[in-house]
Amino acid sequence: GILYAMDGSNKKYYNRETSIPFSSDGDIIKEAKILSLGKADDINNEPLYKGQLPEGSRLLAVGLVLEDFDIPALKLQEPNVIFISSSYPREVFLQLLDAFPTIEWMHSRSTGIDHIQSKGLAAAEHVVVTNSKGCYSSTLAEYTLMACAYFAKDLPRLMRQKQHKDWSKYEVLELRGATLGVVGYGDIGRAASKLAKAYGMKVIALRRNPTLSKGCPICDKVYGVDQLNTLMSESDYVLVAAPLTDATRGLIDADAIAHAKKDAVLINVGRGPIIDEDALIDALSNGKLKGAGLDVTTLEPLPTESPLWELDNVLLSPHNMDVTATFLRESTEFFVNENLERFVRGEFLLNQVDKVAGY
Amino acid sequence: MRASSLLRSLKVVSRRSPINPVVCSFHSSSLRAATNGVTTPHADPQLKNYKFWNREESTPGQFSYLLEISPESIQKEARIISLTAPDDEANHALHEGALPMGCRLLGTGSTLQDFNELRNSDQQPNVVFVSPSCPKARVQLPLVLAAFPTIEWIHCRSAGIDFVVSDALVGYKHIPCTNAKGQFSSSLAEYTMMACSYFAKDLPRLMRQKKEKNWAKYEVEELRGKTMGIVGYGDIGRACAKIAHVYGMKIVALRRNPSISEVDPLCDVVYGTGKSSLNKLMSESDYIVCSAPSTVETRGMVNADAFKAVKENAVFINLGRGPVVDEKALIEALKTGRLRGAALDVFIEEPLPPESEFWDVSNVLISPHNMDQTGSFMHEATEFFVNENLPRFVCGEDLLNPVDVEIGY
Repeated sequence: GILYAMDGSNKKYYNRETSIPFSSDGDIIKEAKILSLGKADDINNEPLYKGQLPEGSRLLAVGLVLEDFDIPALKLQEPNVIFISSSYPREVFLQLLDAFPTIEWMHSRSTGIDHIQSKGLAAAEHVVVTNSKGCYSSTLAEYTLMACAYFAKDLPRLMRQKQHKDWSKYEVLELRGATLGVVGYGDIGRAASKLAKAYGMKVIALRRNPTLSKGCPICDKVYGVDQLNTLMSESDYVLVAAPLTDATRGLIDADAIAHAKKDAVLINVGRGPIIDEDALIDALSNGKLKGAGLDVTTLEPLPTESPLWELDNVLLSPHNMDVTATFLRESTEFFVNENLERFVRGEFLLNQVDKVAGY
Repeated sequence: MRASSLLRSLKVVSRRSPINPVVCSFHSSSLRAATNGVTTPHADPQLKNYKFWNREESTPGQFSYLLEISPESIQKEARIISLTAPDDEANHALHEGALPMGCRLLGTGSTLQDFNELRNSDQQPNVVFVSPSCPKARVQLPLVLAAFPTIEWIHCRSAGIDFVVSDALVGYKHIPCTNAKGQFSSSLAEYTMMACSYFAKDLPRLMRQKKEKNWAKYEVEELRGKTMGIVGYGDIGRACAKIAHVYGMKIVALRRNPSISEVDPLCDVVYGTGKSSLNKLMSESDYIVCSAPSTVETRGMVNADAFKAVKENAVFINLGRGPVVDEKALIEALKTGRLRGAALDVFIEEPLPPESEFWDVSNVLISPHNMDQTGSFMHEATEFFVNENLPRFVCGEDLLNPVDVEIGY
């Protein structure tokens, strides 16, 4: 079936599972002249570096810092696209925007743009920003349900018992009938809900614009951000799948956690700073939360001093639960095969980001 | 008015919102129209599926409701004896609860001796309810059947009936026998997906790295696009397929009667039994789920030959019965790396003895046959007997979940 899109149309956003590959009779009306802000030897960028680009379009230069780009020479060629795959692009990117006023479009190979977002970017009204939304969602949904089952079937206990050759039967919990609360009901949140529904879970969605999800067939209730505490009090499993923006930083604070249901489990696949990590550690230590599954943390790599390493009831992963062998490459393919083809034909670009809102 | 015709004239029967009534129309076209495979009982050309119960999909309480509103539907009495462990609380609904009209519990016990008083009574039992908690149920059940020739129905509280099957019991195969098929399936489906993810996301590596405070990124695998091969495509197998399908997995199923599942929208391929079928399934599957019952035919079925045929990096999951698998061959396949790993909830010998090699094999997830053991699962199994099959019995209707003690499931 077709996943219910954020705007209800399925035309503005890409989803790896349901979107129909691009095809068009439209004429090519302009050339894409591309700068790549990333590593020259990044094999995941091969669809761009070595692949077939639309006629007339070309890759002008690749670099990580401003010095890598021959500004006077490139200025003559009037680059209009920047493809970002580097980890710390914020400053360099703004410098490139300054140096090349002909830039009209920036595409991020990642979905999160918190590492690119800035006031400068928000102010650059002539630049359209797109990202890789919808490219990793199902993988993270799989992780989410695994994290739920990890606690429901008490996987840590199984592993402990095995070490001691201990055959003790114990009761397991069902996910069926339990409630999954999704904070940030975007593409990832929806993919997780789709799976949760197959398990027979109830789903509560929370998003900035609840009306956009009215009638969504895969969630039972939709809340606005002001109802966060209600969601916390009703959910057995809480999935944080929101982007990091000014509005979401520290959203899951001590107050929200205090409203958590008994034996609730918190799962974060969004960004670490959305959860107040100290409050989280407190709640995990004193039993307020049964456990947490964290693929993201405030600091990454997680410093060895962090108490999260030693808490038994934490499932920790190194921000890799969407890292498949092909996901980055597929992301670049999306840029080349979907959005670049649209750009050169003057057509509407998929996955446009609201630069002010930050996602 | 006959019970069944009264029932069919009722529009709304269930108190809970029904997904699809179990007693549905017998028009094959309406069954074939079931394209929404997730909530509709799978299409069955032989129209047999209405005889089976599924906790998620069946409409509960149809006949208990009928008895309440129309006591004249009672065709006969149910006089029940319960073969059970002495203090089995899971049987509360039967031993202490209110039974449907026309039903009486004559006595409970673990051996024939416990029912001695009944033998001379003028109230002879016609139903025996047997729980796996009853020690030596295999010996006691035929003795009870011999002592009470008035018994016309045997109900097993669990889904597996291997705990009670014997040559002696086969002598009573003329007596209808039913079980708890469909009662535990969704829990086991949840376990199956967890077991698949355990290997796909390399959960053991996560736990190791956590111990070492090592934040090293590594690649994970998706379940999406992979193939799940289900050996023994019954209710549990279908429950797994239902969820795996939404994950975007392909399903290859194997069962004795493949024609029953030919139009099942959840299966991409259905095989019958036979060595070449099994090996074919093994060679096509990334995740093999063994959910077959333990019968004369299935014992030792998944053997060294089968494991030789597996796809590279395959994972084997057993949640049916231990004896279906040749454990030596399995251990060999795990140790040599022919199998990436295994998740086992059942074993030939349970509890698994400390000497068993399984404990020491690193790529095995072991659980103590508890992955369907929720707080209420056995209580619900008894409630199924009380609320679903007992009312059907007294109304003279077909019983749900018939099993064949000769075939073993």
